[in-house]
Amino acid sequence: MSMKQILHNLVHRQSGYVELRWHKRTSQSFVATKGRVDVANTSTTEGVGVRALVDGAWGFAATADISEPSIKRAIQQAQANAALLAKARKGHTIALKTGRLCTKDFVGDGFAELQQMQIADKLGKVIDLEKQLAKSSQRMHTAKVRYTEYMEEKAIVTSDGANCSLKIAQPELALSAIAEKDGQRATGGKGAGVSGGWTCLFNHPTLNHVVDDIAKTTVDLLDAKYPEGGRKKVILAPAVVGLLCHEAIGHTVEADFVKAGSVAAGKIGQAVASPLVTMADSGQESIAGYAVGNLPFDDEGVETENTIIIKDGKLVSYLHNRETAAEFGVNPTGNSRAWLFSDEPLIRMRNTYLLPGQSKLADMIATMDDGYLVEGAGSGQADSNGEFMFGCSHVWEIKNGKKTNLLREATLSGIAFDVLKTVDAVSSEFQWDLGTGHCGKGQPAKVDAGGPYIRCEINVGGRQS
Amino acid sequence: MSETKNTINELSKKLDEAAKATLDYSKSQSADRTKVSASCTVEKRLVVENKEFTLANTLESQKIGLLVHKDQRKGSAALNNAQEPSLQRAVTDALSLARFSVPDPFLIMPAATEAPSTKPLSFMWNDRTSEISLKDLQEFTQAMLAHLTKDKRVAIDRLEVSTSCMWHGLYNSLGVRQTETQSAVSWSFMGMAVDGNDVSGFDYDGRSAYSWDGSLDLALKQCAEFTEKVVRNLRPIKAPTYKGLVLLTPRAVEEILLGTMLYHMAGSSVMDGKSQWHEKIGSQVVSNMIHLSDDPHNERFSGATAFDGDGLPTAKRTLIENGVLMTHLHDCYTANRCKSKSTATSGGPFALMCKPGKDNLTAMMNARPELLVVDRFSGNIDPIKGDFSGVAKSSRYFKNGKDIGAVAETMIAGNLFEVLNKVQAVSTVTEDLSGSMQMPWMVVDGVSVTGN
Repeated sequence: MSMKQILHNLVHRQSGYVELRWHKRTSQSFVATKGRVDVANTSTTEGVGVRALVDGAWGFAATADISEPSIKRAIQQAQANAALLAKARKGHTIALKTGRLCTKDFVGDGFAELQQMQIADKLGKVIDLEKQLAKSSQRMHTAKVRYTEYMEEKAIVTSDGANCSLKIAQPELALSAIAEKDGQRATGGKGAGVSGGWTCLFNHPTLNHVVDDIAKTTVDLLDAKYPEGGRKKVILAPAVVGLLCHEAIGHTVEADFVKAGSVAAGKIGQAVASPLVTMADSGQESIAGYAVGNLPFDDEGVETENTIIIKDGKLVSYLHNRETAAEFGVNPTGNSRAWLFSDEPLIRMRNTYLLPGQSKLADMIATMDDGYLVEGAGSGQADSNGEFMFGCSHVWEIKNGKKTNLLREATLSGIAFDVLKTVDAVSSEFQWDLGTGHCGKGQPAKVDAGGPYIRCEINVGGRQS
Repeated sequence: MSETKNTINELSKKLDEAAKATLDYSKSQSADRTKVSASCTVEKRLVVENKEFTLANTLESQKIGLLVHKDQRKGSAALNNAQEPSLQRAVTDALSLARFSVPDPFLIMPAATEAPSTKPLSFMWNDRTSEISLKDLQEFTQAMLAHLTKDKRVAIDRLEVSTSCMWHGLYNSLGVRQTETQSAVSWSFMGMAVDGNDVSGFDYDGRSAYSWDGSLDLALKQCAEFTEKVVRNLRPIKAPTYKGLVLLTPRAVEEILLGTMLYHMAGSSVMDGKSQWHEKIGSQVVSNMIHLSDDPHNERFSGATAFDGDGLPTAKRTLIENGVLMTHLHDCYTANRCKSKSTATSGGPFALMCKPGKDNLTAMMNARPELLVVDRFSGNIDPIKGDFSGVAKSSRYFKNGKDIGAVAETMIAGNLFEVLNKVQAVSTVTEDLSGSMQMPWMVVDGVSVTGN
């Protein structure tokens, strides 16, 4: 009997709302550096998470023992936890909006390909890429290559009708380098992640000529100066636009943050960005088809969708789970996600992006007197008040309509909606480019982000003389 | 005996047997050396969002990790159940990975003679903590929530309170066997102040304690400090742009300075030639006002442990004294590569303490004509070059000793190797950060502040 069938049989013996989620994650992780293999690891985590809604309160329990008696005990525990909490709640009782509950079984592209691939081939490729990067320049001090894959298998059954399963593969590859000259060092790197197989991963545009690109940029950065700090006109590359969408806007429109008073609260229908800006978060993106946050349904069993957040500059939607959808009187958007079986679902993003526009990058540069082209997205963070910061590995100076000097890393900051109001050009070129690593919100989540090139004004953190 | 303690005892016995069986199985499959790390946890957790209880969670979990060495190659596997077929499959997987890996003659595991079984640190387990029910936790959480929301301008996004009881064992095929148990009560909260259209910066705090007794007082004190701070940070201004002195709070000292120092002390950085302090033991590497030690047996800190990730007994160790580097931080592998000795810091350091200085905190704030007091740092640090750049969060601007106000959209940047050598003052007072380390306040020079 499949796990979905076992869960289905158990759920239908319960009264009240019960949500059962079986989740098995098998992952492989390899790290090669300095001619060594530092990590060659495989990991399996499997179990069932149970959420019960009793008298308007949530209870959660989880078990790594997937036998029927153990899952039954977890259901009872979750119900007991919910009952305890129901007595303590003073305000409204939790209700759920139904939405489009999924009843399908889904096997993602590339799952079988990765499952059938030999370890020797994957690990061999990682070792080979590290060798290539290490030998790419005499100035190369350290090369490092990391490959991680998640093979996700889930079945979700709820007492009100969700009954679905999935198998998806999420491989990712990241390369980094340290170059050295006369005691000075520079760092660089690139990576890509996809929802798909090995072939799909290596077809990602970011991985085209990746070794040569990293080697050249990292070595060139040895002689680069720092950008000057201050408010600057900039062109943001797709990865940086993705980071802006995710960190600076995406988190503030997660309905749990909205309820806590984020800067997006009460702004539905208001102009929050330039009319050139349309932004979305999608669980089933169709621009490239391989973004790493692609999911057929979320961890409440709700089918995902392409959620438009900002349309022509106006805020039109938040990101919801079933509970906040009921509270806000809208439909759930399929954004409820949990990292492991033992984690409760939270509102999380999937693939967050700005829609492409009409301009060409070359024209955007040619019509700019003074500013920067910002590339190489690093890590980022944002506050509920909309203040964000994110790093970038390098920037290009633009002078009199020409891309000139390569400059060292910078940190960008601003107030999200203020920055989006300054957007005066959006390119037609588009790329997903944030598929490596994880978003953190108590639990990790695999997400992607991207967009076109955009031109705007932003604070650049630099050195003061 | 409490139900939780009973569960931990039963699970740990099973894991102990499973670990020994796994070592035997791995040997039968011709592994040269094997390490097994096993743990089980019983956790109870309550979540409050927007002033309302939203989730009660109870969880029993177990984890097993194993590392095999075969023909000077290594592979590892991890899983969350201790059933024999699963463990045997994990051994097979780890050996398969090792087969395709690269030979490394420096792979090593300690023998039982180097890693004798340690005596448990008695303060790490508290029976009372193991007896705490969800109902007790609910009362604790309600008391915290009442304190946090006394001022109506404070919006608490999320408050979590949990108790956890854990057993952890480490075994290797050379006879090492270490075990310890730990109980903890932990809390964390995040939020901001909202006054009309005015929203303060987002902030968070929390900590962990071994013992239930006294933990509520600690939590309530932290709640009071948090609410006062976020309300004070309403109506922010932009700091002026200048290069010079900033005062780092203990949290900022940790977030900005500590990581880079640890990176260059780390055995992995030393062995790969990435450390700037490669050959600097005995040399001054930072200001002589900095003294840093690691004290894994200190009951004030949640990272305390009797043994490290290799199974070696831990001990208090001075890392930096008067700015002079006293040691690198080695595990068995990096020590072997560097022809050095392990400092028993695999998975560490565990409980860092930066010694207090001689400067009065008020005087540190008053004595400078222009001073940004940085409380949190949200930004990027490149430990290799030492460059840092990011936003000064929850921070305030002082002019001639007068508190001008909270700041927003203010960025700081500089080079940590310069900054660490330009420490102007270290406070006599220190703070225990999240119950995991002790840091003082520091005035440092050479920081670029970009505001207005």
